[in-house]
Amino acid sequence: MIQIERLRKCYNELVAVDDISFDVRDGEIFGLLGPNGAGKTTTISMICGILQPDSGRVIVDESNIWVEPKKVKRHLGVVPQEIAVYEDLTARDNLSFWGSLYGLSGSELNHRIDETLSRVGLAERAGDKVKTFSGGMKRRLNLCMGLLHQPKFLLLDEPTVGIDPQARLNILDVIREVAAAGTTVLYTTHYMDEAEQLCDRIAIIDHGRILALGTLAELTRRAGEAEVLRLTGPFDDESLRERLAAIPGARILGFGDGSAVLAIESDGPGLLEILPRVLDADLGIEDVSIQRPNLQNVFIALTGRELRD
Amino acid sequence: MTALAILRRDLKRYLRNPVRTALLFAMPLVMAAIFAVVFGGGGIDEISITVLFWDEDDSLLSKLVGGAANDQEAGRQLDVVPVGEEGLAMMDRGEASALVHIPVGFTDDFLVGRKTTIEVIKNPSERFLPQVVEEGAGIGGSVLSAASRVFRPELVQIHGLMGTEGFPSDLAVSGLSTGINSRLGDLQEIIFPPVITLETVTTPTDAGKEEDKDVEDIGILAFFLPGLAVMGTLFLAQSATRDILRDREDGLLRHLLTAPVSPGDYLLGKCLSVVMVTSVGFALMTVVGAAMGVSWGPPLAASVLILATGLAASGTMLLIMSLVGSERQGDTLSTIVIIVWSMLGGAFMPLSQMPGFLRPLSASTLVFWSTDAFNTLVLDGGGLADILTNLGILFAVGFVFLGIGAFALGRRIRKGAI
Repeated sequence: MIQIERLRKCYNELVAVDDISFDVRDGEIFGLLGPNGAGKTTTISMICGILQPDSGRVIVDESNIWVEPKKVKRHLGVVPQEIAVYEDLTARDNLSFWGSLYGLSGSELNHRIDETLSRVGLAERAGDKVKTFSGGMKRRLNLCMGLLHQPKFLLLDEPTVGIDPQARLNILDVIREVAAAGTTVLYTTHYMDEAEQLCDRIAIIDHGRILALGTLAELTRRAGEAEVLRLTGPFDDESLRERLAAIPGARILGFGDGSAVLAIESDGPGLLEILPRVLDADLGIEDVSIQRPNLQNVFIALTGRELRD
Repeated sequence: MTALAILRRDLKRYLRNPVRTALLFAMPLVMAAIFAVVFGGGGIDEISITVLFWDEDDSLLSKLVGGAANDQEAGRQLDVVPVGEEGLAMMDRGEASALVHIPVGFTDDFLVGRKTTIEVIKNPSERFLPQVVEEGAGIGGSVLSAASRVFRPELVQIHGLMGTEGFPSDLAVSGLSTGINSRLGDLQEIIFPPVITLETVTTPTDAGKEEDKDVEDIGILAFFLPGLAVMGTLFLAQSATRDILRDREDGLLRHLLTAPVSPGDYLLGKCLSVVMVTSVGFALMTVVGAAMGVSWGPPLAASVLILATGLAASGTMLLIMSLVGSERQGDTLSTIVIIVWSMLGGAFMPLSQMPGFLRPLSASTLVFWSTDAFNTLVLDGGGLADILTNLGILFAVGFVFLGIGAFALGRRIRKGAI
């Protein structure tokens, strides 16, 4: 288990991570979801022991990473946001070097390299220099470096940024397989669909603070148990907001840029009655969409804005 | 173990990029080769100064002056070319270092004690060699002036004899001879025995007189090459340590430190790799020097010194790269350090030529300690025992700077500055 206790990190006046606490349970995939600049990378950097927190502590399997860094790091596999590979070396050279840092050598190292490259579909390119790889292939190799020593805990910092859908699916599949084999995964992302599809539990983070934490079902319940209406119109106008709020059976989750999100209450009159009232209220509505409650709506409910990036 | 893994990785990177690796070693090698070609492997004896001798007087004395420049000793450095007026055009074309002009009536003026002139025209495109000619002509002029005053009556007598038809009478010649002998006899009491005598002594070495002979024959290249090689080593270390900045900027260093690797492990691994590069580079430069006749002294002592120099250079560059904020800052600062240290440490000029107030600063540079040790091996014929202090200082500089660099790098990473 990874225990995060009251972590805080400031860069001069900027509070990057503000007193956050959560646990990552053994065998689960835990998602840290938030926009860019929310504090995800700072948090994961403190967890993997390269950034010292101003206060708080990180306990991995009952060991404090800042007290016994080498012992803890042996059990961590980290896949950073940057593609951190040596482009002038081959894929096999990169993995060979990385494995040697964890004490792997000889036939065991070669076996692990072959196995890991096969898992991400790069076995045939093992002897090619990385500079000849596409962005997606480099990302997959980046993932290999985190998996090679078969860590107990896998920390991934936005590992699918900037790659094609096929490579992204491959990476998500590999993470599922690894988790199914018993590895504990901490996954940061700003893609809601990834968090929804992949994670057992999700913490929503913004401005360095954890806003909500729970399973997908627990979180979406905050956006209501029935449908969600997303309306596009001139909702910057305060009077329109008040008229919308007066419609019975609908709860305003939040307002975005020229949009409003309403939760249809499950014990109310229902969508079929509420929708005509909304449309007849002369609110200047330009577009309406009906959605199931999702993390986007939860984020709007929590922050009053969209999770765009 | 981790450091060795980093060394292996860097070795692979050098092997997988032969062009980059060749370029890495190109600069110090090219510098060494240019010096070798310019100064050659031979001694200072091989420097030849071309002097044009324009004798308009065409007299006994002017021929004596010209002949003096061609005697056995001076002739080793001076190539005296008799010319006429065309010598001026040759000087315009830069074909000689200087032109010495003896005007018409030079001998007559000298013999009767009139003021006369030896004209030296220097080649403005050269600095050192024309100066040698000017100094030589100045000394010659002083000697002739002294002779003119001491032998004044006899010289007037000679001038009178030169004006007569046919051979002078026996009486006149014997009178002249008696006068000169008498004058020399008087001078002997003044000149001999000389109050000051010059004796040149070469410090004997344990290896005996055979090595003393070698030391006498050392060429100019041997004076400059050690300092140049040390400077080249610093430039090699600068190029090789640039990887740290790229590792930082590409996120590779942060990724590496998520593995069971400390900043100290990382820097030690890089240090091994840089020492390997500098040692190979230095070895190549010694080969260039050896091919041009420079002896680097006992192989064991030279090898340990190359290693110590590489370690000190690596430690210095790793410290700089650990402290700076960007690759550009690192390049600028390290280049300034290399140039200033090379100038202060004696890589460009002998320390004896420096202003006195700068000399104490030399000891604060690794260039000084390394160049000084190489001079001990190359110029003085010393051995390992003679350079132990220098080795100790170089090793200490390397390890201390490496330690400070590891501490600074670790601290900056932990604080989030990298």
